[in-house]
Amino acid sequence: MKEILRIIIGLTISCLVAAVVMGSVFAITDRAKKHNEHVKVQETMLGLLGYGKANPPPSELRFATIYRYILNENGNIRLGYMLPVFENGRETFEFMIVTPDGDFVEKLPLKIEPDAASEGPERETALKSALKRSTIFSFADSSIVALKGKDRIAYLLPSEFPGFKTFIKVMLALDARFSVIGLEIMEHEEDPGLGAEIAQPYFKNQFKGKAFDRLKELKVVKEPLPDEYKLALEGKALGKGAVSREEVDALRQKYQGKDIFAITGATISSRAVTDGVINAAKKFSYRLKALEKVIAAQQIAVAF
Amino acid sequence: MNATLRRYIVFTLAAVFLLPLLLGCGSEHHFIKSTSFKGPNSIVITFAGPVDEKWATNIANFRVNEKTDPDIYLPVSNISLSPDRMTLTITLDEKLNQTSTHSLFMKGIISEGRDLGSALVNVKKFYFGYLLSILIGAMIINNFVFTKYLGLCVFFGTSKKKPTAIGMGITFTIVIVVSAMMSWFLYQFVLKPFRLDFLQIVVFIGLVSLSVQAVDTILRKVNPVLFKSFGVYLVLVIANCIIIAVPLILADNEYNAVESLMLALGAGLGFLIALFLMSSVRERLELADVPPTFRGLPIAFILGGLFALSFLGFSGMSLF
Amino acid sequence: MKARKKTNSQLFFNGILKENPIFRLALSMCPAVGISTSVMNGILLGVAVLFVQVFSSCTISAIKNYIHPRIRIPTYTLTIATWVTVIDLMLAAFVPAAYKEMGIFVKLIVAFAIITMRLETFACKNPVGPSFWDGVGMGLGFTFGMVALGLVRELLGMGTILGYDVLGFRPLLFFVLPAAGFFCVGLMMAVFNYMEIVYNRRRKAL
Repeated sequence: MKEILRIIIGLTISCLVAAVVMGSVFAITDRAKKHNEHVKVQETMLGLLGYGKANPPPSELRFATIYRYILNENGNIRLGYMLPVFENGRETFEFMIVTPDGDFVEKLPLKIEPDAASEGPERETALKSALKRSTIFSFADSSIVALKGKDRIAYLLPSEFPGFKTFIKVMLALDARFSVIGLEIMEHEEDPGLGAEIAQPYFKNQFKGKAFDRLKELKVVKEPLPDEYKLALEGKALGKGAVSREEVDALRQKYQGKDIFAITGATISSRAVTDGVINAAKKFSYRLKALEKVIAAQQIAVAF
Repeated sequence: MNATLRRYIVFTLAAVFLLPLLLGCGSEHHFIKSTSFKGPNSIVITFAGPVDEKWATNIANFRVNEKTDPDIYLPVSNISLSPDRMTLTITLDEKLNQTSTHSLFMKGIISEGRDLGSALVNVKKFYFGYLLSILIGAMIINNFVFTKYLGLCVFFGTSKKKPTAIGMGITFTIVIVVSAMMSWFLYQFVLKPFRLDFLQIVVFIGLVSLSVQAVDTILRKVNPVLFKSFGVYLVLVIANCIIIAVPLILADNEYNAVESLMLALGAGLGFLIALFLMSSVRERLELADVPPTFRGLPIAFILGGLFALSFLGFSGMSLF
Repeated sequence: MKARKKTNSQLFFNGILKENPIFRLALSMCPAVGISTSVMNGILLGVAVLFVQVFSSCTISAIKNYIHPRIRIPTYTLTIATWVTVIDLMLAAFVPAAYKEMGIFVKLIVAFAIITMRLETFACKNPVGPSFWDGVGMGLGFTFGMVALGLVRELLGMGTILGYDVLGFRPLLFFVLPAAGFFCVGLMMAVFNYMEIVYNRRRKAL
């Protein structure tokens, strides 16, 4: 009996100590992790817009994020848009519900701080208190509008689609007329040496500058990537003086109308990325037009 | 030994094939018997009775969209009704993304002059096929040993002789299914709701030890003969990293209970297959004249590499 | 207990060469095959293992007199799992990019036979000081193995070392393919075997 007691006490103490150690490490690292992730996303967004250390972003640049939800109100499918709005000069969010056909249903104010809105659980609690109990909602996606003063300079679309192995997460940047500004691969688990090459500049930069009409028709071709195009995509020879900036631009211009050259040995990954990008751009442009119509009709003072 | 073994295999296989069947999927509207994809861009609907031809061929009565995009309707190019007016084939302009569920809305179904009301049905791949693809995926296409490189210590340790290999494989399969299911329940209903994800590692390793102990005790009491042949491998199971990798993978993905079971089973059977293949070759290897520097583990690793290369051929394959 | 006590430096080198966890003891092979595609991966996972090994060894040897013999193994597991969780959380927070590349392997350190083995055979019988050195030696031995593999695979496969372009071309893409891990480990073990054979032959000749 005494031995069992000793064992139990020993185990309890060691579990408690372990729990304290893990709990405190979690508390410390969790904040750092969130901060680092936030910084990384910010850097990617600025990088896609062409800003970086050498070219700091202007002070009037700001980002407005639209979160899209799918609602189920007693069997009726609705779309919910969480829109950033200006209210008495302050930025808050409003939740607008529309039917799949794009007809306005209702508009609800949300109690959420702009900083907290980037956290999924925070949004969920805000939505739960604003919506009816019986409504089931699920997060669909988010799109970010980059603004310089009052002008929209780009749309940034975080997107996710199945690749060859698991999911590929990307961030796509479109300009105001839905032409591609750039593509960044955020996360993937493709094979090193093969599918993992999608993250290399010579692949992802092929999307750069494709106009929306061209993008819709984009295909993947199984042809070797021409050397001069590869250099231009990598912007490699720039520093060495062999190819000037103008020549790089000229080369890029030359291949502008071309399809996407598949990565050797990774056609499926290349195709997955291309289809994913086309899909994201097409759906976004369609939705934005429908959304703008409703916003104009309801005269919502949106912050984008 | 052989009879018990066979009984085991029969049980496992029966479980694999019967479980999903029990969960057969019904349809949401009483008049619609089934819906399915056909070819790259068609959807086939089977009705319980003949429908009105005029209603059926009117494109405006049908709306198809991906479930995640309820606002984007996919353009329908053609609708054709079978001669007995019971099956309808809807052809779309573009290729369907069949991995995601589609919603099909039918406005005011008319059959024999009666209006049966509108219906909203889901079109998805056969669920059984999906489950089977998880199972075969974990077993062969994404074999844990040859394509994910896990569990190698135990793999090389127990693949010298065929009987050892089979014993280890079966014991491992049982334990992994038990422990993966326990971890899945605990993760979904305790760790996730209370945001304790960071305790994953401790909890999972604890559960693995627990299930090894449980299987050990139960087997000892219930079937001492079986315990004699498999008991020795139970200790080794815990040193196999697949057993801790599967719960971690389950925690990362949104699988439900049956899908998790399939993945765990696939992982276990995949390990069994890998062990069996390897041991068959290594038994032959004993007769071969291997240079002294390569004798033992080095040549086994080279062999493993050859197996891994051949398993690379399965990668990206999709069934169903 | 061994007849002659080993000095700290002997303990240290024991782990690196004579009892190298990867090539000699053939333990913890999974990461050696799975993610030794680059030197950086090798270093990071090596550091993680070193951290877990050293802290677990020290913890166990510090509390060895209070552990009831019946719950020895559960205590080891709990200790290792705790330290693995700590390093896992830290890597996820501070080096997210590299952490993603290592995937599930950091969490799998918990199932590494090498760590439990050192706790059982060494740390629970020795004071903190020697346990510390033994842990460092084993951890560095593992790191050394991973880095050696990473060096070969990265150089031959990608033509780079630590991401810097060294060769300017890719000699054999095969080496970064996952399956090549098996070949590399096999060949490396053969090299260690060869060295041992030559060494023994020389000693006999003397």
